[in-house]
Amino acid sequence: MPLVNFANLDFDQIKTSIVDYLRADSNFTDYDFAGSNLSQIIEVLAYNTYITSYNANMVSNEVFLDSATLRENVVSLARNIGYTPRSRKAARANINFQLDTKTYTSVPDQVTLNKGTVLTTSLFRKTNYVFSILDDVTVPVLDNIATFEHIDVYEGTYVTTKFTVNSLLPNQRFIIPNSRVDTSTIRVMVKPNQNSDISRKYRQSDSLFNVTSESPVYWIQESADERYELIFGDGVFGNKLEDSNYIEVSYLITNGDDGNGISEFNFVGRLTSSREATALSSGISFVSTNTASFGGASIESVESVKKYAAQIYASQNRAVTAGDYETLIPTIYPETESVSAFGGEELSPPQFGKVYVSIKPINGAYLSNNIKDNIKTNLKQYSVAGIIPEIIDLKYLYIEADINTYFNSNLAKSSNAITSVVSSNVERYADSSELNKFGARFKYSKFLKMIDDSNQAITSNITSAVMRRDMRAALNSFAEYEICFGNRFYVKNHGHGTHGGKIGGNIKSSGFTVSGIPGVVYLKDSPNNSLTDGAVDLMRLESPTESTVVRKNVGTIDYLKGEVKLKPINITSTLLNKGFPLIEISAVPYSNDVIGLQDLYLQLDISSTTVESIPDRIASGNDISGSNYIVSPSFSNGSLVRGEIVTRNGSSQTTGRVVSTTTTGTTTTTSSGSYGTCKCQGTCSKCQGT
Amino acid sequence: MPVERISKSFKDVSMSFTINPLTSDLIALKNESAIARSLRNLILTDRGERFFNNNLGSRVNSILFESLDYITASSIKDEIETTIEIYEPRVELLGVDCNPNFDSNELNVRIRYNIIGIVAQPQQLSFALQPTR
Repeated sequence: MPLVNFANLDFDQIKTSIVDYLRADSNFTDYDFAGSNLSQIIEVLAYNTYITSYNANMVSNEVFLDSATLRENVVSLARNIGYTPRSRKAARANINFQLDTKTYTSVPDQVTLNKGTVLTTSLFRKTNYVFSILDDVTVPVLDNIATFEHIDVYEGTYVTTKFTVNSLLPNQRFIIPNSRVDTSTIRVMVKPNQNSDISRKYRQSDSLFNVTSESPVYWIQESADERYELIFGDGVFGNKLEDSNYIEVSYLITNGDDGNGISEFNFVGRLTSSREATALSSGISFVSTNTASFGGASIESVESVKKYAAQIYASQNRAVTAGDYETLIPTIYPETESVSAFGGEELSPPQFGKVYVSIKPINGAYLSNNIKDNIKTNLKQYSVAGIIPEIIDLKYLYIEADINTYFNSNLAKSSNAITSVVSSNVERYADSSELNKFGARFKYSKFLKMIDDSNQAITSNITSAVMRRDMRAALNSFAEYEICFGNRFYVKNHGHGTHGGKIGGNIKSSGFTVSGIPGVVYLKDSPNNSLTDGAVDLMRLESPTESTVVRKNVGTIDYLKGEVKLKPINITSTLLNKGFPLIEISAVPYSNDVIGLQDLYLQLDISSTTVESIPDRIASGNDISGSNYIVSPSFSNGSLVRGEIVTRNGSSQTTGRVVSTTTTGTTTTTSSGSYGTCKCQGTCSKCQGT
Repeated sequence: MPVERISKSFKDVSMSFTINPLTSDLIALKNESAIARSLRNLILTDRGERFFNNNLGSRVNSILFESLDYITASSIKDEIETTIEIYEPRVELLGVDCNPNFDSNELNVRIRYNIIGIVAQPQQLSFALQPTR
């Protein structure tokens, strides 16, 4: 009986195959007994085979980028196709402080903040962080005050490593000995020898373009253990170093993303005057923070290297297609969480010669203008001449879910426990990559299944989804507005004669005021006969359930495209303000599977999502006949507007939401009252006693 | 019905790997001697020593370094009995004697057993255990 399975990676199976072989062909019999000598020999053989198989498997896996697992090998394979993995990125903060020189005997003309450590933090997340600057900053002294404004400081310790070129070492390598380096902070100075006063600055290059035999450049590559190696020119591409040349490499050792979010600092830097070399230590003001630290990022993960190396190779470091932009931007701006790019010709009306890019940063919702300019400048190196990249702000499309879970009270601790577990699962889903990306899709059925699977006590759930966009209002000026949802709106059509089959109220807005119309107004839509488009009117609330149209045709609505357009309108104030005045507009989607079209970034809005737990009295056996079963509506609530309800007489209702049920054309209204948004009407354990 | 396999003899290789001068073949251990060697192997193997089989063996070696008294002897006796009962199905254990020899700081072990599967007299295996490194 031959040994056949050579690729086995399981010790027991290898051992079994050797025992089977001996059982068929050997004179010996004691292979089955653990204490026998033969058994020991078999185990040594099996172990040896196991190690050989494992090594063979590892070697074959590590040869290919797709299957390699060790970082060193992945990086090496990526290097073969010209990809340098991103290093850690130091968090950056922006600060101000002053030096008062009144008390000095000789007031200096200018003061220099020396490069190196400048700030420390008190204990932040159980660690003290250090912030440094990479270059000296010199400011003039005016009226005895030296003002350091808008100074960028970087989280990390500034260190210098020195090398001496030795031609006797044929394979001399210049490896930075620290592993937590931010390579964008590396500064390289080369002196002819250690004692020389002359030094030449070398710059980092990532290609051979514009590199001559005299160019003072170096290249960087990741070597073992997340350390970086500097590679200098050979006299053909880049200046060749000579014997005894002295290299000073300065860089930041950073904690990466751990350094984000710090806003309180203590000054520990070194200030010197141009006249005296001694440090100026008195008269230093408190450090005020313009921008808390942000932008710190950890080293590029193995998964990311495997993903982007192939894509970068495909794009050949050129931004031609929209996909090229999406690949290149994370390398230019490492804090990118998600990116979407599309050609201007896809817009309506088309914008030829432009590429539009939306970027979702890891920290925060929008990019600052400064960062946008930086990215645009960097993109110029890659983009086709004549094509202008435009970085546009993210457009969020929010989904609000109204979740009613039914649970078997025999299996659950309490309704609060069910609500809690569902809420936490919904939050996890909201944070997942299923949604937080461009081109995402809210998969309704999966969402329902996730809720059902949250706890074994949950018997079913009734969940309605609404989509919302926030319209930023330009106050006190006439402006046109266009809000695109990218998803078809559901249009109510009662099909009876009362309203000619169309009743409007398919969109809801938060309140705002308009020049020339007293009081708070809201948006209201009126569909045309085709139910494909319609007009947008302004309405005022007479009561929470009655409205009056105060101005007709202020805009149009396209139910098929999911688009609301407002003609020039002068909005003077809004009820909502999230750092800027805004009007929330929501609509029920035609399909519960909502997609994030083009530059729309889909997000599940946790703050507007409600979770209620309702006892399933049929399942628990308390009410087998179902006579007192609590019914939840499968459609969204009947409130006419969003948020705060302000009626004509000025009364305001800010809590709860209005729940209405329509019976043969007559609207009866029930205020949510003390039960809040719960549908149990006071029967569930959460509401009992209220 | 499963086939009951009856072993007529036990045959194991000798760890000395010496050659039989008459047949020029590898010397083999048979029946009683094979089983005696197996018992010694089991008792003197520390747990965790074998690859992928952490439980095989006994704790005799580690217990030996306890102070020599009757409690230690009793522990070693229990350990030997347990190990043989679990890992050596070819023997029926008749008894284990474990007597401390305080003068020479050693334990005299005597294991009495019957061999299952072949016709043989009751066997006795004696050896001394000493705490050596």
